[in-house]
This record gives sequence, structure tokens and C-alpha cells, in this order.
Amino acid sequence: MNEAVIERGIALVGAILVGVTAIVQLRNDWAAHGLDAGLTKVLLGLMALGCVLALLAAVNVLGVRT
Amino acid sequence: MAAAAAQHLSGHDAIAARYRDVDPVYGETRDIRLLGFVFFLLSDCILFSSFIFAYVYLRISAPAWPPFLGGHQLPWFDTSFAAMNSIVLFGSGVTMHFALENWKHLNKAKFNGWLIATIVLGIGFLLGQAHEYSVVGISWTGTTMGASFFTLTGMHGFHVFAGVCYLTILGLQANRGTYTGSKYFGLTAGTLYWHFVDVIWVFLFFLFYIW
Amino acid sequence: MQAGTSTTHEAHDAHDHIHPPPEGFVRKYVFSLDHKVIGFQYFFTGLLIMFIAGSFAELVRLQLTDPNGAIMSHTAYNEMFSMHGTAMVWLVLIPLVTGALGNFVMPLQIGARDVAFPWLNMASFWILPVAALILFSSMLWGGPHAGWTEYPPISLADGTAGALWCLAIFTIGISSTMTGLNFMVTIMKMRAPGMTWTRMPLFIWATFATALMNMVATVALSVAVGALFLEHVFSVPFFDPARGGSVVLYQHMFWFYSHPAVYIFIIPAFGVVSEVLPTFARKPIFGYKMIAFSSMAISILAFTVWMHHMFPSGIAPWLQLPFMILTYAIGIPTGIKIFSWMATIWGGRIHFTSSMLYALGFLITFTFGGLSGIFLASVPVDLHMHGTVFVVGHFHYVVAGGAVMGFLAAVPYWYPKATGRMLNERLAQLGFWLFFIGLNGTFLPMHWLGLEGMPRRTATYAGFAKAFPDAVFWNQFETAFSFLMAAAIGLLAFNVIWSLRHGTLAGINPWGARTLEWTISSPPPYYNFKKIPQVFDRPYNFDQPLPYRNTDNELDEFPEFGRVLMPIPQPVGAGA
Repeated sequence: MNEAVIERGIALVGAILVGVTAIVQLRNDWAAHGLDAGLTKVLLGLMALGCVLALLAAVNVLGVRT
Repeated sequence: MAAAAAQHLSGHDAIAARYRDVDPVYGETRDIRLLGFVFFLLSDCILFSSFIFAYVYLRISAPAWPPFLGGHQLPWFDTSFAAMNSIVLFGSGVTMHFALENWKHLNKAKFNGWLIATIVLGIGFLLGQAHEYSVVGISWTGTTMGASFFTLTGMHGFHVFAGVCYLTILGLQANRGTYTGSKYFGLTAGTLYWHFVDVIWVFLFFLFYIW
Repeated sequence: MQAGTSTTHEAHDAHDHIHPPPEGFVRKYVFSLDHKVIGFQYFFTGLLIMFIAGSFAELVRLQLTDPNGAIMSHTAYNEMFSMHGTAMVWLVLIPLVTGALGNFVMPLQIGARDVAFPWLNMASFWILPVAALILFSSMLWGGPHAGWTEYPPISLADGTAGALWCLAIFTIGISSTMTGLNFMVTIMKMRAPGMTWTRMPLFIWATFATALMNMVATVALSVAVGALFLEHVFSVPFFDPARGGSVVLYQHMFWFYSHPAVYIFIIPAFGVVSEVLPTFARKPIFGYKMIAFSSMAISILAFTVWMHHMFPSGIAPWLQLPFMILTYAIGIPTGIKIFSWMATIWGGRIHFTSSMLYALGFLITFTFGGLSGIFLASVPVDLHMHGTVFVVGHFHYVVAGGAVMGFLAAVPYWYPKATGRMLNERLAQLGFWLFFIGLNGTFLPMHWLGLEGMPRRTATYAGFAKAFPDAVFWNQFETAFSFLMAAAIGLLAFNVIWSLRHGTLAGINPWGARTLEWTISSPPPYYNFKKIPQVFDRPYNFDQPLPYRNTDNELDEFPEFGRVLMPIPQPVGAGA
């Protein structure tokens, strides 16, 4: 039980940190063009989505509730 | 003048014209290699999608999920540890992005720092997966749940492992002078690969821990 | 566009390195990076395996001359037809039509010096013999028994042989994926300056559509056989119903690849026919854009029809209707092609060379096979005929009468370019008649036998022969004619080797064809093009000068015609 709380705490803080950074990077790269830049934008966007998922899982909205 | 002409071109003509001023040979080979690499990622994506299709198909057509084994219903996967481990992997994507940005700005020391951070986080994720495997409480051959879980996450883990090796090699090459401030396709490819591996995990995390 | 082509032309000049050819036998002929040599390697490997797989087919036919089985046990029969199908599909047809033709012709037609990733190309070829060895070595363990599809749970009884089958197909799948990737990049990035998408020869369009399917669909097959391999070796329960698995899942994963696979064979054949027909009818191709578009349409639609192979497999009834309609829809682009080809030869000056004969034969047999395919697309008809030899007849009309026929049209057409000598025309024409008559004699009776209910994949048919006594005669008839096809392939192999020495010299352009490969010497030098040519138009306007500048020979006028054809024809269909 304690372990799960610690894990969720780390996940919550990390998700906010990583997600915000990813979105900031996405904004910085928004003007770049080319195949690699376009793909990077898509992948970064999906990763930000992943951070949202992890965040919601950490606050017990999604996934198995503990 | 070339830029003005390039506006009227399309497709490979335009791309060739864009790079002509910089370095025609590098421009063309970089373009070809980039497209080849993106197609490789696409085919890799289909590799995962096919197994994901199998998992979704089996799960939807199963009478109960999690399935029963020997009269007992199997446990759900534990979300909290996986959420933390996901953040480790996603964080490594961000650090890899910083590494590439610093290489573009010719800041080699910071590049090395962020690359090492990426590799460490990648290894951390693998260790986390090893821990997850030891506590998950299902087996590869028991039911379709275990079959899908271990096959998909195992393949993903293999990709992460390969990526860690790949990034290590790229770091060694970069410090030996293989890449310059304007020619660093290998690093771009490495970054794309690493982001791709992260994004695969987004889907796997959703499918196994949240759905 | 004029300004654009000159701009990019300079860009190409900047790396007009002409590498010297490699030294030494191994570098030159074994681990060669040259796309032409790799094409020959695919050709001869494919032909060799075709003999092995073809002899399996003859054994199958011999067995069926007697309703109780003439020559072998049931197990051996199962092994024979399984190996025949597997080897023909993955080790013969795909290597021949994409590997051999694609490798040899495609870079020449787009004016490139090689494919995008020569090393990858070499690796894809060398995977093929390894996969062939793995596949044929499975016969030491009794071989696969469940047909070329290897459906579980029957295939799970094959044990080691089944695992080796999976391994072989997985390996060959990797090779195909790499080839597809390589060709996609080559066609997208390495065309000669000025060769826009709508100026590409139709064979390039076909190769592009094929490469797309190779790259996308083959991975799904690798996953299917990979999962089957895991089930064989580690007992992972993907397809084991007792542990929650599903045997229908395998069929979904398998056909998601294998339906596009049949288009992987046939679309290069379409491309060949689109080159051969206008060349020997001396008329511009009719409906260039529609033919190109329909190739792409087929390659995309191909991913949406796989369930028509599974109508009897217990898929949901509401899924049957959409898949039936989508399958009918594939007939539309195919029909566009057939009608465009007929309009191309209509009113042309037709030269009945051996390639033209094969291409015309293709029009007949492929159309026939396509029509019986429309029958099978209909759910009620398919439920009746799925397990009968009607399916075998349909499939072989499309594959032997379509893909192989197209390939056989390509061999005499590009042989002069590849070797510098003409294929013996008489032998090639004799080969055509043997093949055409043999094909129809072998597979036509299967249609009515199937309608009467003769089961496929069975070593004996005594029960059916009792109900339908003519079956014995027709099966013996089919067996007799199947040997004509075998003779035609043997004749082709003899001709290919004999003409290397004794064929008449071909010159640069024996057919008066207009694509880029006919502007360089035959056989082409190691670097293909001394100067990268510029392209101004599609290659099919036979009444106009060649649309190229900066070619190695500066052919501005009609090219010289070789010995085979009549004197220079007058422009036909002026203004067309």
C-alpha cells in the first residue's frame, strides 16, 4: 500500500514534469519543417498523450485503483 | 536564385534543389537515408500493430477478461508501478530530444550529459520491466493474456535494449568525430528511433494497464 | 518544369561518380552490390526452385490420375502440395517478379545507377537461399502437411517441420520487407531529373505499388508465422482454443498479408504487360493515368478484402456482406486495366513476337481467372465451392495464367538488354504455345470438376469418382496437359542458357521500345548511365521523338530497329 502511494507520487510528479517539457519542446519545434521534424512532432505529441495517461493513472482515474 | 526556382518545383526536384546550395551529395543521401529510416519505422510499427491486433481480437472474443486459469480468475495488472516506469521511459525521450538540440547548437558537453541521462533512464526502464515480470503473476504459456503481455512487452523491451545499444554506439561515434554540426543524420535517426520506442510504450501502457 | 529540370540536373552532376566495377569473382558475382547482378541471382535461384516446386506439382497431378491415389501415401501427398504451394508463392513468384524483374529493370527505367541501399539489396537476396534451405530441410522432419497456409490447429501437429516452415517464411518475409522498403525509396528519391510521377513508365508504377504492399503487408505475415512459431516451440497459446486462443485469428493475420501477396505477384505482371503491349502494337498506351491509378487502387484495396478467404471459417455474418462488396470493388480497377490494354492494341501494328504472344495470352487467361474470382467473391457461391478444386482452378488461372505469364512475357523482352543477345525466337514461341495450351488443359477442367464438388487437398477421390464417373478422365487429362507446362518451363531454361552463347546480337534497342533502359548499351555497363538523362515526357508516344536529353547515345530520333522487327513503322494514331 505504501509502496503504491510512493510509486504514484513519483509518477504524478514525473508526468507533470515530462509532459510539460514535451509540450514546450513541441511548441519550440512547431515551425520546423521536413520529414524528420514532422515525424518528431507527431511522436512528441503522442508522448505527451502518454504523460497524460500516466498522470490520470497516478491519480486513480484510470487503471486498477489501489 | 535556386530558392526562387525551387518554389516552382515539386517532390524530389524541390528537395534536391533545397539541399543544392548546402552540399548536393549530403543533401541527397541524407534525404534517401531519412526516408528509408522512416519506412523502417513504419514497418516496425506494423509489426507491433499486428500483435496488438491479435491481443485486441483475443481479448474481445474472450468470454471473460482477465481470463480464468485453473478455475481462478487472473489478476489485473498493477497500474502504479507501470505508471512510474512509463514516466522513466517518457523522460528518456525528453532527454534524448535535449541531447539532439544541444548537438545542433554545437554544445558537446551538454549533449554527452543528456545522452548519458537517456541511456541511464533506458536501462532503468529495462530494470523496471524485469521487476514487473517477476511480480506480474501470470506466465507466458498460461493463457492468451500472458501470451500477449509477454510477447508484446518482450518485443518492446528488446527494442529498448537495442535502442540503448544504438545510442551508446552513437555517443561513441559522436565523440570520435563521426558527426559534425551540419551532418548528423545518425543522431537524427537515433532520436527518431528512441521517440518511436517511447510512443509504442504509450499504446502498450494503455492496452495492458488502463483498458 | 523546364527550369526545374536543369536545376536538379546540376545537383545530380555533383555526384556523378562512376565507380569502377568490382574486382574478383566473389565481389562481382556472389556478394555483388550491383542491382543487375542481384536481379540475375534472383532469376536463377527462382528458376531453380521453380523446378523443384514444379516437380512436386507433377507428383500431385500423377497421384490424382487414379481415384484411389496412384503413387504415394496420403501423408506424402499432403507434404507435396504443401511444399509446392509454399515454395512457389514465397521462393519462386515473389523473388521472380519483384526480385528479378524489379531489381534488373526498375533502376534502369528510372535512370538511376543503382537502388537506394545496395547493401540492403544484397542482404535481401542472400536471405532467400537461406530461407529455401530451411524450408526444404523441413522435409527431413516430414515436411509441412497443412497446405501453404498452414492453418492451426492442423499445422501444430507438424512439430519440428512446422516450426522450420514458420522460420523459413519469417526469414523470407524479412527479405521481402527490405526489398519493398528499398524499392519505395529508390522510386521516390532516385528518378532521373524531369521524371515526374506521371512520366514514369507503367512498370515503375507497378513496382511502386508492389513495393508498398511488400513493405506493409509482409510484416503482418511475419507476425502471423512468428506467433505460430512461438506456439510450436514455446507452446505460447495464441492459437490454442483450450487456453483462450483462436484459430481464426491466425487466418485473419495470415490473409491480411496473403491477399495482398497475390497482388504482389500480379501487379508487376500488369506492369510488364503495360510495357510490352504498346511496344509491339506501336501505339501509345491507352489511359496511362488510369492504369497507374488502378495499380495504386488495387494495392490499397488489397488490404480491405482479406476476409473473403474466410467466409466458411465462421466469421460474423454481418462482416460477410461488406467484404463481398469490397472484393467485387477490386474488379473495377482490374477491369480498367484490361479494357485499357485492349484499347491499346486496338488498331495497332501488332508484331507477334514471343513477348507479345505471352502478353496477349495473359489478357485471355488472366481475364478468365479474374472472372472466376468474381464468382468466388460471392458468399453463397464461395460457401459451396470453397473446398473444391474450383478454387485451385481459379487460383492457378490468376497466378500461372497471370503472374507467370507476365513474367514469361518479360523474359524475352528484357533478355536482350540483360545479356546483349536475343532469346531464340522460335523456341520462345514454341514455349508459349506449350505453356498456353498446357495451362488451359490443366486448369480449365478443374472448374467443372469443382462445380460438381470434387474436393481439393485430398489424396484420393474415390467417393467423388463414384458420383461423377467422368472425374477420372478429366483428372488424367489435366495431368497430361500439366506436363506441357513443365516442358515449356524446361524449354525456357534451355533457351535462356543456349542463347547466352548462340543468340543473335541484340544491339541497343532491338524492339524499338522507348523507356530509358533502351538508350544504353546491352548489357548495360556497371554504372548503367554515363550521364544521367533528363526526361521530358512519358515514354509511350510512338509518333514522336524520344523524350530524353543527355542520354548516353543522344538518341533524338527513332532508335534503330533490330533484326526481329519490320522496318520502321509509320506513326500510328497520330495525335493520340
